[in-house]
Amino acid sequence: MFLARIDGTITSTVKHSTLEGARLLIGQRIEQDGTPSGEPLIIIDEMGARRGGIVLVSTDGDILRKARGNTTPARLSVVGIVDRVSGVAQ
Amino acid sequence: MRLGIVRGRIVLAVSVPELSGSRLLIVEPVTSENLAKRSGAGGKALVVADHLSPGEGQMIAFVEGREAANPYWPEKVPVDAYCSLIVDTPDYRPPAVPAAQAGKE
Repeated sequence: MFLARIDGTITSTVKHSTLEGARLLIGQRIEQDGTPSGEPLIIIDEMGARRGGIVLVSTDGDILRKARGNTTPARLSVVGIVDRVSGVAQ
Repeated sequence: MRLGIVRGRIVLAVSVPELSGSRLLIVEPVTSENLAKRSGAGGKALVVADHLSPGEGQMIAFVEGREAANPYWPEKVPVDAYCSLIVDTPDYRPPAVPAAQAGKE
């Protein structure tokens, strides 16, 4: 699991049928010092994360298979919305 | 999932049986800088299995790892990247880089 900042959303008309109705966020992984790292990630959100917010992202696709069926081609999902982080520079 | 721009296609002359008939795209991942500029991609290209037929130059999102083989379930296929969706429009507005951080780059 890791933390990501929500920087946007995408819309998609043509997609795998199991992703119908899914909320698709553009997230940016953030490191311990608060800096972004890596490429932007598309994250499935069922929790109502807000733009600019920090979320906890799981890379375990099993929760998505449970929600969207065994054939769903997705892996990253929001599993928590962060209230505060202590012990690291922000 | 990561975002990528479709750059080409691959046709196999011979393949393992699990991959016969599959469509394969060459995809260049999109970096955050290029997504913000709305032009270019910039990542290291890879091959992505596909059932959606995006056109060259279109933006897609692709899943990597074990989950990339999920659409073939219960068949077992040696696919580790799969085109999950074609992007209509990204709405991407990252916060401006603070001056202190900008200076470090």
